[in-house]
Amino acid sequence: MSELLPEDGLPEGESGSAGPQEGVVRGDVLLACEDIVKVFPGVRALDGVGLRLTAGSVHALLGENGAGKSTLIKVITGVHTPDGGRLVRRGEEIHLRSPLEAARAGIGVVHQERNLIPGFSVAENITLQNPPSRRGLVDREAMTAPAERCLAELGLDIDPHRPVRELSVAQQQLVEIAKALYTESRVLLLDEPTASLSPQEAERLFDVIRRLTERGTCVVFVSHKLEEVFAVCDTVTVLRDGRSVLESAPLAAHTQDDVVTLMVGRTHAVTDMAPRTVDTSAAPALSLTGVSTAAGHEDISLSVRPGEIVGLYGLVGAGRSELIKAVLGLDRVTGGEIQVYGRTAKIGSPREALHEYGIGYLTENRKEEGVFLEQPIVRNITVTVWKRLARALGYVSSREEQGVSEDLVDRLSIRVSGLQQNAGELSGGNQQKVSLAKWLAADTKLLVVDEPTVGVDVRTKHAFHELIWELARGGLPILLISSDLAEMITLADRVVVMADHRIRGEVDNDHDYDRMSGQIIRIIHDRAVSVVSPVPTKSATL
Amino acid sequence: MKTAVTEPDSGTDLPTEGARPAHRLPFWVNQRLGLLVLIVALSILFGSLRPAFFDARLVLFPLLRDISTLTVVALAQMVVLSIGHMNLAVGRMAAFGALFAGFGFDRLHLPLALGLLLCLFAGCVIGALTGWIIARTGVSSFVVTLAMDFALLGLVSLLYSSLTDNAAFTTRPAGLTELRSYSLADICAGPVCGSPAIPQMTQFTVLALVVLGFLYARTRMGRELLLTGANPAAAELSGVPTGRRIILAHGLSGLLAALAGFMAAVGTGTFSASIGDDFMLPSFLGAVLGGTLLTGGVVSVIGALLGTSLVGVIRKGLDLLGVGLESLNIYLGCILLLALSADRVRTVVSYRKVVRST
Repeated sequence: MSELLPEDGLPEGESGSAGPQEGVVRGDVLLACEDIVKVFPGVRALDGVGLRLTAGSVHALLGENGAGKSTLIKVITGVHTPDGGRLVRRGEEIHLRSPLEAARAGIGVVHQERNLIPGFSVAENITLQNPPSRRGLVDREAMTAPAERCLAELGLDIDPHRPVRELSVAQQQLVEIAKALYTESRVLLLDEPTASLSPQEAERLFDVIRRLTERGTCVVFVSHKLEEVFAVCDTVTVLRDGRSVLESAPLAAHTQDDVVTLMVGRTHAVTDMAPRTVDTSAAPALSLTGVSTAAGHEDISLSVRPGEIVGLYGLVGAGRSELIKAVLGLDRVTGGEIQVYGRTAKIGSPREALHEYGIGYLTENRKEEGVFLEQPIVRNITVTVWKRLARALGYVSSREEQGVSEDLVDRLSIRVSGLQQNAGELSGGNQQKVSLAKWLAADTKLLVVDEPTVGVDVRTKHAFHELIWELARGGLPILLISSDLAEMITLADRVVVMADHRIRGEVDNDHDYDRMSGQIIRIIHDRAVSVVSPVPTKSATL
Repeated sequence: MKTAVTEPDSGTDLPTEGARPAHRLPFWVNQRLGLLVLIVALSILFGSLRPAFFDARLVLFPLLRDISTLTVVALAQMVVLSIGHMNLAVGRMAAFGALFAGFGFDRLHLPLALGLLLCLFAGCVIGALTGWIIARTGVSSFVVTLAMDFALLGLVSLLYSSLTDNAAFTTRPAGLTELRSYSLADICAGPVCGSPAIPQMTQFTVLALVVLGFLYARTRMGRELLLTGANPAAAELSGVPTGRRIILAHGLSGLLAALAGFMAAVGTGTFSASIGDDFMLPSFLGAVLGGTLLTGGVVSVIGALLGTSLVGVIRKGLDLLGVGLESLNIYLGCILLLALSADRVRTVVSYRKVVRST
């Protein structure tokens, strides 16, 4: 579509931001986090994190899913107020109360999710945080020049007047980065910036990053693709369980393997559970054969036997929850066959999945899809059995409801002050138990458990693992979706690895953490390598 | 439609300077009790200032008749609020229902009860149609009912002008006049007669209150309506037929609106297009004052009665005191604002409780 613009972009000096920023010497500490603590209901997301960002460097921020990277970024950019520790900008402590304040303090960010206004033009989006104005009115003419400058820096040939909604996902991602360039940030945080970019586009982005660091900017780079990290970054901080296990160290001193080891850590003791055997000759409770879906899955085959826990592992965005939602009838299954206990299943809705096939789905987003926060616990638990309890005129006896709920509250030892308490008043772990209780109440024949222990403290997490283990021991087939490797290796009998909506491999679990994590990460990693494999860059295909 | 009131991020930003744990909500947040106290206190106040306030036939009878009608209107709104929707066409659905009743009496010479049934049926159908559109298209109920309001505004006037000479049905079947003006004093069990202050029309309201009370407190459908309102995504994933519940709620809302339209028409004695013109604001006022959440998931059937009664008492009392209509509306606006703030206070207080406990 377009020819590459000269790599140098526009002559320096034409724009205010070009050239080294005044008073900044390469190596100066621009921003330091000291002992940052952030607590959410039920979990310490950050527990003493340190980070030093120096001028003119590219800093990698690494960690597994849930290690606290996104929370740290949100603290640095003023979205969250830290509960402990300090943020120090060039020697003085700062308190950021909003993203706008962070932007004014010279901290720019490109979040993982898109933050553009689809109906606005490219120029309007780029200049959104500080639109040029004349006599109090937004000056559309004056917007074009700076927007074009930012686009040119990225080597993008997009008409700044085009509405953002007409752009491709990759183009939108780049506009987002252009927007960060416009604010002339001294510290620029990029959260998974290459997730939706082609290798060529990513390469272009790395050029821009290098040019920015020459000017004295510090770029913080978050990515799951370690090759990229090692290609562009100078220093590295590794987070694990909300702590920095490696703090602002030079990257050159470490190998990729070192970093992976630090990320997964060896402190993750895989908990030993009472032995549990799976009857491998039993007919599967759920089997998918060559299933493809409208969500983009292709040729998915997997099976779960009674009493078996099958893990479905993958990075965020691999399409695991989407697969289950398609199976439950929330998205279209376009090919292949689904069998539930030997019966070919065409499931039209979660209701049918529950009442016809006995499938329960413990959702990933507890607050959005799992529990009814402002409803009493008793309703949260009995929602799946009203159909069974209802008599003439749909009358449901409160006493029967109470009975069902009390049993489950006891059985799962949910800590409540009363059954009429609102679910939103419980801690994360107990909310999750309430969410599980409704499927046990309905006596499901197959349970899908999606990220069961996200945002749950360590002790409750262990209790929850035992619960799932016991359910499987009782013969319940369980499909476990988790991004928590330790959890996978603790619970699963087999681990199926998914990436890009496809099954990439399967590993029999021997509960040996080091061996298993290595194997699983390698399966995903092979993928990641092939994505970044360099293709001769001739012209951009934007 | 649904607003996320409980995001962990925003909650932790709340100031936590309150040293005393907020285990109990302040009493005035319990809206039902507060309303009852207010209604009694205000009635006593107005009664002592203007003894005429307690005149059974001239003041209380029309007051209770208005309250009866508007309570049904508030219930019509409450039912859709319970699923987190709203019905801006509540007044026009009332007119639509009343049109069918009038048509039945005038052209089909139906008796009173059958005309009422036809009216309820028409309201239910138009409401269910609205619900079906919302469930199928996923367009917000605000937009769909607003469009429905305009469509019915045109349709009802058009039908009246083409079906009647002077844009109203005035045929009164046997029993209508009695229904309009009889009170419990006309029903006697031996020597004991009822109060002349309570109109017979109240029976419809009581019936509606009882049925809805049973629905929400005791049945599967009522519970499912509330959960659909509280969190539609979680409800769908828990096996609740949310689409059917949306249609049910709007159908029920249309039916109640039509009932209110019928009651209003009986009250004035004519079936015309202007019935229900002033229903929309009182419908929200009554329901929200009574403790029904605009965001869905929480309703109070008795609250709708109390909320509507409070507004009725204030209106009538200030009227008797000679306060003009304009300033009266200022007072009512302030009351609605207070009621809505109480709603917000309740959310914030219960949120702090969660944050404190972790």
